[in-house]
Amino acid sequence: MPDFRFRKVFDVVRDVRVVLGLEAGVSRGALPEPADGQHPGGVAPENMIWIFGTGRTGSTWLAAMMEEPKGHDVWFEPRVGTIFDPQRFQRHGGKQFILASQYKEVWLQSIRNFILDGANARFPESNGGYLAVKEPGGSVGAGLIMEALPESGMVLLIRDPRDVVASWLDATRKGGWQTRRRGEGGRRAESLAETNPNAFVRRHAEAYLQHVGSARQAYDAHEGRKVVVRYEDLRADTLATMKRMYGELGVPVDQARLVQTVEKHSWENIPAEEKGEGKFYRKATPQGWREDLTPHQVRTVERITAPLLEEFYPTGPAEQEG
Amino acid sequence: MIRDAWRKIKGGGASSTGERPGLKPENLVWVFGTARTGSSWLSAMMGEMGGCSRWHEPLVGHLFGNLYYVRAGHRSEDEHFILGARYRELWLGMVRNFVLDSAAARFPEVAGGRYLIVKEPQGSVGAPLLMEALPESRMILLARDPRDVVASNLDAHKKDTWTADLMRKGGKEKPPSLAESSPDAFVKGQARRYVRDVGNAKLAYDAHRGRKVLIKYEDLRADTLGTIKRIYSDLEISVDEGELARSVEKHSWENIPEEEKGEGKFHRKATPGGWREDLTPEQVEIVERVAGPLLGELYPVRSTA
Repeated sequence: MPDFRFRKVFDVVRDVRVVLGLEAGVSRGALPEPADGQHPGGVAPENMIWIFGTGRTGSTWLAAMMEEPKGHDVWFEPRVGTIFDPQRFQRHGGKQFILASQYKEVWLQSIRNFILDGANARFPESNGGYLAVKEPGGSVGAGLIMEALPESGMVLLIRDPRDVVASWLDATRKGGWQTRRRGEGGRRAESLAETNPNAFVRRHAEAYLQHVGSARQAYDAHEGRKVVVRYEDLRADTLATMKRMYGELGVPVDQARLVQTVEKHSWENIPAEEKGEGKFYRKATPQGWREDLTPHQVRTVERITAPLLEEFYPTGPAEQEG
Repeated sequence: MIRDAWRKIKGGGASSTGERPGLKPENLVWVFGTARTGSSWLSAMMGEMGGCSRWHEPLVGHLFGNLYYVRAGHRSEDEHFILGARYRELWLGMVRNFVLDSAAARFPEVAGGRYLIVKEPQGSVGAPLLMEALPESRMILLARDPRDVVASNLDAHKKDTWTADLMRKGGKEKPPSLAESSPDAFVKGQARRYVRDVGNAKLAYDAHRGRKVLIKYEDLRADTLGTIKRIYSDLEISVDEGELARSVEKHSWENIPEEEKGEGKFHRKATPGGWREDLTPEQVEIVERVAGPLLGELYPVRSTA
């Protein structure tokens, strides 16, 4: 699987660097300090860049490009946001609840330590470097994460919800990459995408609203560096969009190297046999949903995701577009 | 090797052990099981004893356990996963700190060597993680016949019951429940929840090397004072027997006003074996099939409808 290959490269490089870094640390007697909110010598909170949104928005592609500059790393889907999902506990608002608002100062510090300790353990050599955290699947917790780490940068990565749902529909059909992956993991491989595609579409549109809606709220509340990146813009002009993103985040990058990075990870450079229906790299064509979804499914997605669709894709529903 | 050494230092360093001035992890008493096992009753009796405070359902076990066991258990070998196996010692230390920091902030009085009863039946999915993170803590596994647990939940989630009142207090209307529209499906879901909660609490109980006790709701109902004395004895907590007897009497079923008891109310009937009247034979069969192994282990003499 292409995305697995991508992960393996990360893992090997990181393992080597961790061991070398630790050896150096031990010989210097410079072991990382425990959690105290400062975390000297490791990942600086202001050098973390969180990527929120939802799955199938191009976050793997974006993260791969963001890992290329020297001294930059990617934390690939820690899912820490899923732990701190306030919506899951909406009805438990009392003061006994572990995340009760009366004790927010205490648990927000715990969340901060939890994340920074986790980051420092995995990236102990990231001294002054940047760490992009690819966390679309944990976007439900984006609000608390950004509140716990106000110095961090944030990317709100969005994509037309109709294309996102169409991509999931393809991925989880029989033979799709997600179905195969689930099967390999010994988990239930059959999918609602096959047995009841309309229900699948509805469920994924709701998930889109929940994830991107949470990320959107976090983006509004975050007073630090932040940027909205649309997948469609990234596809149309990758280099310019990357430059704008780094500019908004205040991250210095070597322009020549950025050009090389964009080229290296371009759609055109993915081998043809790794692309197509049922594969991780499907078609990367904005508005492909016009071919992929039925009119009923399009209306379902548009109805459920209307607030976000109107804000980020304001041309109106499909039928108005003709 | 170096990596392991560092992890040990990191996980076991002075400021990472979770020691808080005055707050002793061994003075936390966790009550695990599942909802409708009498945990409110038990924790009310224990929390009233001198030298005790009660933390009513922090749900911290659900916070971590849901991701680890339900949502992303298949990623445990992935080192990027926040709860990945490679960094287990590290994140267990973080869970420990999370709990102890919150407990210290809420219950400063526990600092003086008092006990904190943590009623956490609905966080039992994370019980193995919590007890591994806090091995000095004491643990109560509170079990009840799954057929009675499911019957109690079936009653609780019907229209206009105490669960609807609870939601209304929080400013919300209770959505239609499967308990009304599809009771058999509801029963199946609740039986699965029982297996998840009590199954994980049992895993934690078996693995825990510290002080622990397994009690059954049925024993607590049959001989409350005798059973609760056994709890304190097994947990090695000294207790004033006179005070304990008074607490048991105060919280007895007989002392709950009649108008607060009955169908649709929080205090329903407290009758072990009541499932024979409450569930259909098909529903009994569903629970026994789903919760079979646990039922056999905790209630080896099976009596079906």
